[in-house]
Amino acid sequence: MSDTAVGFALVGIAMLVVLGVVFVVFSRGGPAEPRPTPPHGVHLPNPSFLPVVLSLGGALMGAGLAFRSENQLANPFLAIPGLVVFVLGAIWWVRAANHEWHDTEHRSHGDDAPH
Amino acid sequence: MTADTVRAHPAGEPPEAGAVAHGAGTPIALVGMLLFIASEVMFFGGLFAAYFNARASTSGVWGPPEGAHELDLPLAAVLTAVLIASSFTMQFGVWAIRRGDTGKLRMWTAITLVLGVLFLIGQLYDYSQLGFGIRDGVFGTVFYTLTGFHGARVFGGAVGLTIVLARTLRGQFSARNHVAVEAVSMYWHFVDVVWIGVFSTIYLLK
Repeated sequence: MSDTAVGFALVGIAMLVVLGVVFVVFSRGGPAEPRPTPPHGVHLPNPSFLPVVLSLGGALMGAGLAFRSENQLANPFLAIPGLVVFVLGAIWWVRAANHEWHDTEHRSHGDDAPH
Repeated sequence: MTADTVRAHPAGEPPEAGAVAHGAGTPIALVGMLLFIASEVMFFGGLFAAYFNARASTSGVWGPPEGAHELDLPLAAVLTAVLIASSFTMQFGVWAIRRGDTGKLRMWTAITLVLGVLFLIGQLYDYSQLGFGIRDGVFGTVFYTLTGFHGARVFGGAVGLTIVLARTLRGQFSARNHVAVEAVSMYWHFVDVVWIGVFSTIYLLK
């Protein structure tokens, strides 16, 4: 078996593992809990600089792919910081969105309440 | 998908996340999925444009680099048949849950997932036999970019199918409450249509 075939076999195994983990995670618990209804009106997300952080990470990764020497896949001095900024920005954004979702669902939503 | 499948909820049955829209209309989750699919159409439009541009501006023979194997058309045709069959099984599942038949939904979703995984395994096997890589010329780059991004979408759809299957086992879907099944189904059909375009472009268009 060639190295290429082994590499693709590992990718296949990784995909099956991910599907297995997803299945286990979503199989836990019972029937769906009742969810609070969304607030009336249009809810706008709060201002955030996180899109800029994510874009910065993406730009650094792109620059790492563009400005590299001949035998490199990417410039590590650009791509690695870019990857770190991108991943941290994504995690931060998901956490912020979860907090915002929680606040939106559980606080009172009178007409005078900010949405 | 008809909007009335998720508009009304029987007493005691919790609405699914994203299934509740204010007033009449398409559920929010389906609108989100439609917008996502629209963005994916634009994405693949760009990839197809890049493919045709590269092909038009390449002088000489268009295809795998010298010394590499020719593309495996019979295998790709089988994989195409597998993916098209999976679209049918997915739709059978949707029709089943519209009737409230969760057992059939579970069966058809499981079959669809198996077919999707078979497609991915077949594609990886095809990659391993080709003998050229993404760096080997313009053809190698556009071939792996198009088929690779499509494969990633199939994997994303398989993740969605896995979630639907797990939630079906938890008894979370019913005839009036199955917006996630409809959304995953729409995405799966989209992935299928894109593959027909990819297959026709790369393997059939000489």
